[in-house]
Amino acid sequence: MNPITFLIDNWDLYIDGFIRLFQAANLAFVFAMVVGVVIASFRVSPIRPLQRFAAFYVTVFRNTPLLIIFFLFFFGLPKLGFTFTPFVSTVIVMSLYTGAYLGETVRSGINSVDTGQAEAARAIGLNFREVLGTVVIPQALRTVVGPIGNLYIANAKNTVIGTTIGLFVETTAAQRLANSTGQPIAAFAAAAIFFVVWLLIAAQVFTSIEQRVAFKR
Amino acid sequence: MSSVLTEDLGPRGRHRVQIANWISLLAVLAIVAFVIYRIAVTGNFAPELYEQFVNLDEGWLEFVIAGLGNTIKAALIAMVFATAIGFFFALARIARNPISRALARVYIDVFRSIPLLLLILFGFFGIQQFFDISQLIGLIIGLTLYNSAVLAEIFRAGILSLSKGQSEAASSLGMTYWQSMQLVILPQAVRRMTPAIVAQLATLTKDTSLGFVIGYEEALRRAGALAQAPPSNQLQAFVFAGILYFIVIFALARFARRLEVQQRRKYGAGKMEAGAGLEDIEALGEEADEDEMAAREPEPAVSG
Repeated sequence: MNPITFLIDNWDLYIDGFIRLFQAANLAFVFAMVVGVVIASFRVSPIRPLQRFAAFYVTVFRNTPLLIIFFLFFFGLPKLGFTFTPFVSTVIVMSLYTGAYLGETVRSGINSVDTGQAEAARAIGLNFREVLGTVVIPQALRTVVGPIGNLYIANAKNTVIGTTIGLFVETTAAQRLANSTGQPIAAFAAAAIFFVVWLLIAAQVFTSIEQRVAFKR
Repeated sequence: MSSVLTEDLGPRGRHRVQIANWISLLAVLAIVAFVIYRIAVTGNFAPELYEQFVNLDEGWLEFVIAGLGNTIKAALIAMVFATAIGFFFALARIARNPISRALARVYIDVFRSIPLLLLILFGFFGIQQFFDISQLIGLIIGLTLYNSAVLAEIFRAGILSLSKGQSEAASSLGMTYWQSMQLVILPQAVRRMTPAIVAQLATLTKDTSLGFVIGYEEALRRAGALAQAPPSNQLQAFVFAGILYFIVIFALARFARRLEVQQRRKYGAGKMEAGAGLEDIEALGEEADEDEMAAREPEPAVSG
């Protein structure tokens, strides 16, 4: 059967999984921004223990498979007396994981601003908050819009791993239908349609934001 | 200070940083102490939970480490196929023929947008409809579909990062398209992309753990089997699997970073624009920027 008719026949199950995935991914991305900003500010701060902690955090999360982090969180933490539902676990794991990448992106954005800009701002008497808020951050944001868009897409794709700890998402729907109907190709292709549409639109949105805020030279 | 935000601090600022150092050090230590306390009260330091890793007679340690061997095997085979197919699509993407460009673009955009997990499920259960394939082959198909699309973009970025003068000079010498590709463009582009390719190999190794979902016997699945066997030690077993994966991935990432820094020393920075799904490669470029800055910093101090 072709994927489109298959999709229409099983629309309810697919859209159910998609909504859950969309919620988890976007919620996680919002929290990941918070984690990322915290990690980045630790790394640019002059306080040594915080720098070290942030560097350690980023190294661990970037070099460990996401699936293992999911398992540790969902099967390991209950052994220490902490238990979360699959949805909450997925959101927390994804915000920690994507947050590590976002932290590096934000930091590189801050460092991409020329030192002279901050020096000039201090020279005309702006205090730390004004230097940061009116001079550094507006310039830093422009350079990180593209990379943040890429991370949004990566985060969305990675969130489906929540299916392995029992969260009902798009891929869970596809897997179930593949089993019950015996048509895995149509079932998986129908799920893929959602991602291609969603993420190509997201990429387009981020590209247009990037062009809008780009330096006009 | 290396950041744009802070200058060299005066005595008062240094004093404040000193205090902040102590407070944050205590906070970090408090977190560590809390974790150790939780592990202790829940009885997770009990020696029998660790026995499987130390007692070589039972063969669990060997079993899990052999799983890491399976991980590396799948990653290497997938890398070879992904590189070849990715290279083909990169050339198709920059070819003069508009139809080949459009087809390559569709392939790259579609397979980069679909989660790898879905591709692996498709690679195994979908293909199994027609051929009886093993989990290894299913995993390799999934990894290849995704990574060939990612690598195609790396190759394209590498080729496009060369100055246009190179291909113009080649054609003014009378070289054909293929001659200039082979003799002028590719040798330079490949050198420039090597670090990104190695970084992608690290990412691919990381993603091989997803073979778990189709039952491929890699390190994580074997650690899961170990955790199932009594005593039930999920926490310890998954930490162990995490460490095994970490060693391989971290080594590859370090290697990629060293290549990148070396390359910049020798040939200068050739900026490659990375796209969606290439977050590790973007980070690689940033890290190399930093290493370069760190290497340069002492110079003005000597001359000034």
